[in-house]
Formats: sequence, structure tokens, C-alpha cells
Amino acid sequence: MKNEVIVLGTGPLANRMGRFLEERGCQPVRADEKPRSDALALIDITAGMEGEKKTSLLKWEQNLSPDTPVFTSVLHLTATQIASWLQHPHRVVGFSPLFFEKWDRVEVSCPLQAEGDSRFENALSLLAKWGKKAEIVGDEPGLVFPRTLALLVNEAAYCLQEKTASREDIDLAMKKGTNFPQGPLKWADDVGIDQIVAILTGLHRELGDDRYRPASLLRKMYYARYWGKAAGRGFYEYGQMSDPATGEPR
Amino acid sequence: MSEPRFEKLAVIGAGTMGIGIAEVFAAGGQDVKVVEISEQVFQNAMSGLKKRLQKRVERGKIRQEFAEKVLKRVRYVPDIRELVDADLVIEAIVEKLDVKQNIFHELAEVTSPNTILASNTSSLSITSIASAARHPERVMGIHFFNPASRMQLVEVVLGAETAPSLAEQVKRWLKELDKEPVIVKDTPGFLVNRIARPFHLEAYRYVQDQIASKEQVDRIMRTAGFRMGPFELQDLIGIDINFAASVSVFEGNFYDARYRPHPLQRQMVEQGAIGRKAGRGHYSYEK
Ligand SMILES: NC(=O)c1ccc[n+]([C@@H]2O[C@H](COP(=O)([O-])OP(=O)(O)OC[C@H]3O[C@@H](n4cnc5c(N)ncnc54)[C@H](O)[C@@H]3O)[C@@H](O)[C@H]2O)c1
Repeated sequence: MKNEVIVLGTGPLANRMGRFLEERGCQPVRADEKPRSDALALIDITAGMEGEKKTSLLKWEQNLSPDTPVFTSVLHLTATQIASWLQHPHRVVGFSPLFFEKWDRVEVSCPLQAEGDSRFENALSLLAKWGKKAEIVGDEPGLVFPRTLALLVNEAAYCLQEKTASREDIDLAMKKGTNFPQGPLKWADDVGIDQIVAILTGLHRELGDDRYRPASLLRKMYYARYWGKAAGRGFYEYGQMSDPATGEPR
Repeated sequence: MSEPRFEKLAVIGAGTMGIGIAEVFAAGGQDVKVVEISEQVFQNAMSGLKKRLQKRVERGKIRQEFAEKVLKRVRYVPDIRELVDADLVIEAIVEKLDVKQNIFHELAEVTSPNTILASNTSSLSITSIASAARHPERVMGIHFFNPASRMQLVEVVLGAETAPSLAEQVKRWLKELDKEPVIVKDTPGFLVNRIARPFHLEAYRYVQDQIASKEQVDRIMRTAGFRMGPFELQDLIGIDINFAASVSVFEGNFYDARYRPHPLQRQMVEQGAIGRKAGRGHYSYEK
């Protein structure tokens, strides 16, 4: 048994996932196209903002056996929509990759097509084997924690863009005034501005409510690739600017 | 240039917040005058403060002499006309705009134009409070959190007309009192109450839309490092208080969808299930 797990995606989330899998005795496999009919699972970290998610999932599905579970990030899309692309939609499990390696719980969602299908339960037992308790929640972009965090960050970004307060004061206020474990702007830099924007635009598109409209500052930071700590720059500066995917200096 | 010091301090209202703010000043070595509607109300507040200080003496946190000094520095005055020479006055009376405007109008008449007039309001606009006072450029928000003696954060709020130079002056003084001040422009909810809105409001949507149960939401948020999830926290704060804060930020923003409260919030309030203080809220606390 090679215990191979295919990881789709780049950047800090994918790197951390790779290390996590190695610690669990699995072999993360990235970016080659040989059939992997004996792979344990495919884990797709990509948010899917640029359409690359569909192409790579379609390509990879052909290399898997029909029962291999596909864990896919639902920060921007629903598991139901992602499943609709695939030949075997029942194998899809939506999940949140944020702090996946760190927390003992992981939020997952079941695509409509897989409701009542035993393959979903089987997939969760794999998570259990890795020491993760599955918290099954409804299938909407961003699930629960990522959606809440994105909205907190969005409100903080509005405050910053309006010059209601400085970034340091915004973070300090939330930590000291209401016991947030992190200031929202610093937290966003850790998670990645790209992820935050993916969640907000996903919710805005799916639910059509103005509550989810991203602050223009966030949209611009996304375009400028000020994606946070991994990019060297987000709401704060972290030394040199680098490519958030590869870590190469820019 | 020597900075103006705030030596002569006064607090209007000795409720939960007012007496706590007076305690902060007194513990920082400053004398403070307190105005209340009657001496009896003031004395009641003082005996509360005395009990709290006594507990801290018993737990070895502070010394007896210190507790006595703190109490001696807080003094009752029956009338705001006795505040003529005050450097800084903080108002902490009921959260009603017209009542606050009346007090600020009066305060502006009796004090010098250099006296800083501050409100501890959580949700009213500093600009509208200031509009009732002569020299609105010295009116600002100094928003302590409950309990004032233990919560380090203070929001220093600048109204549309507040002199910007006051922000840094007040900030430095608050730092000397061991607080962590932040400077914020006058917007509904300021920083904390505004940015925390989605933490509470989105939680109701998860439940209504069958995305997650209350227990799940609280568990997930605790896993993320919050000390409490939104529902357990609301039970502690009071769902009525939390709902009022939501409505006030929503109205203050002319009904922007970002701040829209949730019908389930109102339902909880209408049933009287407002949290721990009622024995039931999102969870049951009946013995
Ligand atoms: N309680 C909190 O958690 C909290 C936190 C931050 C800010 N605030 C704000 O602080 C202010 C006070 O809140 P509180 O909870 O201490 O209220 P409270 O009801 O406990 O106290 C108000 C006090 O003001 C007195 N008062 C009323 N009118 C007066 C007048 N004309 N002159 C003198 N005294 C008068 C009352 O007798 C009462 O003792 C409000 O603006 C509130 O929004 C409250």
C-alpha cells in the first residue's frame, strides 16, 4: 500500500496539507498525471476563483477509481456544484482547508447528489483515521467558520478603507474589546486574502445578498496579489513580496 | 510645549459604567467628582464599589490602604454647576439621545470652552450629541467597556467636529491610566460593536437556513479559538442587549444589508428568553 493522496493546489494551504499527510504516513502526490487507481483520496485545496478547479478535477477524475473520495474546498463554491461536474458525483465531500492540520475538527458538507449515499460516510471515516472529527454542516460557500471570519474581515476592511481607524487599532480593539483570539486583519493575512475574497465573492454570487459584497480594498488587494503573509504583503508587510503560489521573490 | 493635564475630572451618572470609570480614575491616583440624580443613588453605587474593592483586598490583589485611597478620591457633587473648573467630564447616564443632548447642552453652558466633554455612549452618534453643545470641537466619545476597571480597551471617538488634536492627548492620558486606547471616527457601533456584528448575526442565519445547529456553531467557533461561540456569548451578554445593539447599528447605517438583524433575535426577546439572567436563552439555565 503506497497510501498515496493526491493534492491539488499550490500555496501555503497545500504545503501544510502535504506536511500533514506525511505525518499521517501518507504520501502526498502533486501535479503528475499517471493513473492512481489505488490512491486513498484526492484532496483539492483550490478555491476555484479562476475556473482552474473544474479543469483539474475533470482531468484527475479519469485517473481515479470511481469510489476514491474527493475532498474539495468549498470556500468559494458548493460541493453540490462541484459534484455536478464529475462523472461520479457521490464521491465528493466539501470541506474547509483553513487550519485543517491544526484543529481536531474539520467542517464538511455533503453534496445534494450524495445525500444518503454510504460513500459519504466512508469518506468521513478516512478523516477520522487522520484524527479529525467531522462537523457536518450545510452546503453553502464558506461553511461556518470561514464564512464568519470572512465577514469579520470584510467589516474590518471597510473600517480601514474608510479610515475609521488604523489597522493596528482595529486589530487591538477586537482582541481587547471582545476577546477575539486574533485581530481580524492579522488573521486574514494568515489565512490568505485570496481565500477571504473567494469566500465573500462565492457567498455574494450564491446568495445574492448585499451583506456579502466584498470591500473594494479587499478586491484590490486580491488583484494586486497582496495575499497576506505568504505573499510578503497583505494588510501588513512581511519583508519581501513573493509569489504566493511558489514562494519565489517578485 | 507642556501638555494640558487632565487634573479635574468628573463623571455624570454612577451606574454600572459611571462608578467603574470613576474607579479607574481613582485607582490611577486622580480625584473625581461624581454627579448623580440623588446622593442616595451615589451612596449605593459607592457601597457596591467598596464591596468589590474589599474582595480584591481579601484575595491579596490590592492593599487595604489602596482601597481606602480609591474610595476617598471619589466624591459626590449634587449639581453639574459645580463642575465649572473641570478639565474633563465623562457622561455615563441612560442611553437616550435627547437626555444626553440636554446634559451636554447644560455642561457646555457651565464649563469653560476648553473643558473636554465626553460621552461613554455605546451606540449613539457623538456628532449628534455634540450638536447640542456650544463648542462641539471639545466633545468626543470615550467609550469604556464593561467592567471598566478590568477591560483595558477604550475607544476614543472623534465626532465630525471634534478637534483632531484631542485624540492623541486623551490617548496618552488613558495609557497612563493603564488602558489600551484606540482612536476611531464616529460611525455607528464604532469599532468593536460594528466589526463583531457578523459574529452574532450570521450565526442566526446558519440556524435558520439549517446550515448548523446552535451547538455546532458554538463548538466550531470555540475550535477556532473564540472563548465562547456566538450563542453562549449572547446568553451571557443578554439577547435583548445584543438585539438592541444590532438594531442601533442597522438604523445608524440607514438599513444597510450588512447589518440587518435577524427575526429570530426579536423572537427570542419577545418570548423573554433573553439569556442567563432570565434562566433561558439559546440554552436553558434552569436549576
Ligand atoms: N452597561 C454596559 O455594558 C455599557 C458598556 C459601555 C458603555 N455603556 C454606556 O454607558 C452609559 C451608561 O450605561 P450604564 O449601563 O452604566 O447605565 P445605568 O443605568 O447602570 O446607569 C445610569 C446612571 O445614570 C444616572 N443618571 C441618569 N440621568 C442622570 C442625570 N441627568 N444626571 C446624573 N445622573 C443621571 C442614573 O441614576 C443611573 O445611576 C450608556 O450610555 C451606555 O450605553 C454601557
